[in-house]
Amino acid sequence: MSSIKTIPSEKTVRDALTGLLFRNCDLVLGGQVVHSATELATTAEYVDGIGTAAIIVADLSFSAYAGAAIGLVPKGGADDCIDEKQLFPNVKENFDEVLNVLASMFNNPGQPAVRLHKTYGLRELPPNDTLQMSRQTGRRLDLVVDIQGYGKGGISIVLI
Amino acid sequence: MKILIADDSKVMRQIVTRTLRQAGFDGHDVVEAVDGADAFEKVKSESPDLVLSDWNMPNMTGIELLAQLRSTGSKVNFGFVTSETSQEMRDRAESSGALFLIAKPFTPEAFREALEPVIK
Repeated sequence: MSSIKTIPSEKTVRDALTGLLFRNCDLVLGGQVVHSATELATTAEYVDGIGTAAIIVADLSFSAYAGAAIGLVPKGGADDCIDEKQLFPNVKENFDEVLNVLASMFNNPGQPAVRLHKTYGLRELPPNDTLQMSRQTGRRLDLVVDIQGYGKGGISIVLI
Repeated sequence: MKILIADDSKVMRQIVTRTLRQAGFDGHDVVEAVDGADAFEKVKSESPDLVLSDWNMPNMTGIELLAQLRSTGSKVNFGFVTSETSQEMRDRAESSGALFLIAKPFTPEAFREALEPVIK
């Protein structure tokens, strides 16, 4: 089990996304986001100095909308990413930065620092052990996030 | 005044620039650096009045940048804008000579509070 004591609250996630994207993000509980050969997603692995501490899996829509929103790329650019089932290089680079800053959700006083270790793009399947960890039940939060002015996407936050 | 923004993420450099504007610090010269090594060279060549630096960057980290600047006699105003927000990091930043540490994700208000004493 990782050093992270508790799964971030919905408010923590909403505040982090709203602060990072500079626009309202409404969220509701949703289904588990899965990264597979047929289900395109971005997977981010976070470490705490000992090992994997947390994993975030974001579906294509969330990856595109959040990556576009942080860089003020128009919604149409994100919709094109979704239609073409790929993240354009600037949107991918931007979304990697979103995932980097979201490490702040896992950091609490008195606990080891958690940082982004690696991201896996839409068609870049993570190793099997990472995939298995991302699908475990228990300490996880599955959300649908509506990014104001862009649209809805799914994100799963899993503590190891 | 001239402000040097050091961050390996292009979008984060843009966001810092945008947030400076939203915080009311408009009309300043902004220079960008892609990592600590680039920032070190640009402090020498551009003589900024303030450096806003990320902590984790390739080639030279922000804390290494600050140490190198101080060891070479530079007294440039220096603040961190980073996801590294633990007390240990804050203490290291302060003892190394940083004026403030702004946590990502940040707000214009956080910028205003940290920068008002520095930016005239």
